[in-house]
Amino acid sequence: MASESVLEIRGLTKTYGSGKRQTLALNQLDLSVNRGEIFGYLGPNGAGKTTTIRLLLDLIRPSSGSARIFGLDTRADSVEIHRRIGFLPGELSLWEGRTGDQIIHYVASVRGDSRGIAKQAGELAEQLDLDTSKRVRDLSSGNKRKLGLVIAMMHSPELLILDEPTGGLDPLVQQTFHEMMDDYRAKGRTVFLSSHVLSEVQAICDRVGILRDGELKAVESVEKITNVEFNWVDVTFRDAVPAGLQRQLESLLTISDVSTNGARVRMRMAGDFDPLLRAISSGYVEMLHVEEPSLEEIFLAFYSGDEEKTE
Amino acid sequence: MNGIVVGNTLRTSWKQILYWGLGLGVLGLYIDFIAMSPDIISGYADLFKSMPPAMLQAFGASDIALFTSAEGWIVTIFVSEAAIFLSVFAVMAGLNITANDEQSGVMDVILSLPISRSAYLLERWIGYALIGLGIVLLCALITVAGIIGMNVDAPHDVILKSILNLYPATLLVMTVTCLLATALRRRAVAIGASAAFVVVSYLFNVIGASASGAIADLMETVSYFSYINGEAFVIGAYDPVDSVVMLVAILFGFAISLKMFVSRDIGV
Repeated sequence: MASESVLEIRGLTKTYGSGKRQTLALNQLDLSVNRGEIFGYLGPNGAGKTTTIRLLLDLIRPSSGSARIFGLDTRADSVEIHRRIGFLPGELSLWEGRTGDQIIHYVASVRGDSRGIAKQAGELAEQLDLDTSKRVRDLSSGNKRKLGLVIAMMHSPELLILDEPTGGLDPLVQQTFHEMMDDYRAKGRTVFLSSHVLSEVQAICDRVGILRDGELKAVESVEKITNVEFNWVDVTFRDAVPAGLQRQLESLLTISDVSTNGARVRMRMAGDFDPLLRAISSGYVEMLHVEEPSLEEIFLAFYSGDEEKTE
Repeated sequence: MNGIVVGNTLRTSWKQILYWGLGLGVLGLYIDFIAMSPDIISGYADLFKSMPPAMLQAFGASDIALFTSAEGWIVTIFVSEAAIFLSVFAVMAGLNITANDEQSGVMDVILSLPISRSAYLLERWIGYALIGLGIVLLCALITVAGIIGMNVDAPHDVILKSILNLYPATLLVMTVTCLLATALRRRAVAIGASAAFVVVSYLFNVIGASASGAIADLMETVSYFSYINGEAFVIGAYDPVDSVVMLVAILFGFAISLKMFVSRDIGV
């Protein structure tokens, strides 16, 4: 992977309001994103992901600090930067009374190459199985999202900035989206995407930045984040939890936080499933449910030492 | 700035020219129709004579003698009524320049495109200014066509000029609404403030023109309705300075809204 920086953020801070009502949305953010990588910007709702993206797009102005995209200042050179980027907002709003084709044509005209871009838009719409002849008000939220993706990608931007891109997309389209991102990376283009869904970031990103309460807590490779991953496992037995199972589970190194509730056992599990499957085979398992940890839980696991100190 | 946004604004909103232009044109035809009959006009003149000066001013006339001619009748009644309708259009147009798109979130998509905020605001303003011009022209043409068709004894050029003189006031209200929307950020607040601007201006004009004294003069001076002044064309007292004052106010208002729109956060 090339190490040339496409995105450089230095000390970026944003506060809203003033006096007692002042809230710090983003605090001293330093971040670099390299050309050709897919960077996941992870954080729970309200962490400051959208604020960062809106600052990068010059929709809002920083209280202090600066950001550069392609070496250009995001405030002074916003028009030139916007020419080379594509953007999908988290809460996409489009002209409700207009068709997808009309919006694509308008956006392409503003971008200055309506014919070439519209052709590319047609290919993307086909790939995403989107009917662009319908009015926006007649599109489902998932199809609106697809239209947003087409608008963001139709001019083959060097950098894609996507805010929660797959929200509302069905699993099949999510898979198509992941393939599109892989193609993007293969062409040496860069993607900066925000998400609060860890599995999505794991599936497509090279590196991940973890944001919490407006502060960037870590920038790690996806592999490293994956290493601290664990799952919550629920096992429901037909009759009752076999005698001694809880003690047996607690003795396993990969299992912790075991609790029972009637015929159900819940535990936190890291590592392979085999020891668990062997342990529960003494009872009749009616259902086994594996739940991905929340981002907050991953975060706490990743920085448990720091957390304990601060608490 | 390449005119794409102007073109798009016209493409999406050109029907407003038809709706508003035809609506006001029909009003013009109705007033033309009444002007065909000197008896009806003199009947109205008698009615107005019995009213206090403030009421007469509310109908846009300062002198009852205006109602002795068809052109005086048409200009006084039509211009004063059209000024109110066009103010409503101008408030809606002013909100459409930025406030509606900002409130809905569409502005995020627009401003992520390679167009500067200043170019976008200017193109939107020009787009709606052209729509306003189309409305004024259409209603003026229909009204004048009514005069010709109904054979009303009134000079066409006077009627045409007095109706076209509504345009600067329309642009001013649109610009003030745009300014309020960029300053206040919230669409609902901007609507309220713009409506207050129109109503207060109207009241200032009525009170200022029917009373005397320095305060009354000031009230009349700051009211944009006093610069519409259709009767000036009938009595040959049109003062180009009035139009210059309006133009300066429009440019000043637009410059402030441009500065605010360029420097502030969007959608917050």
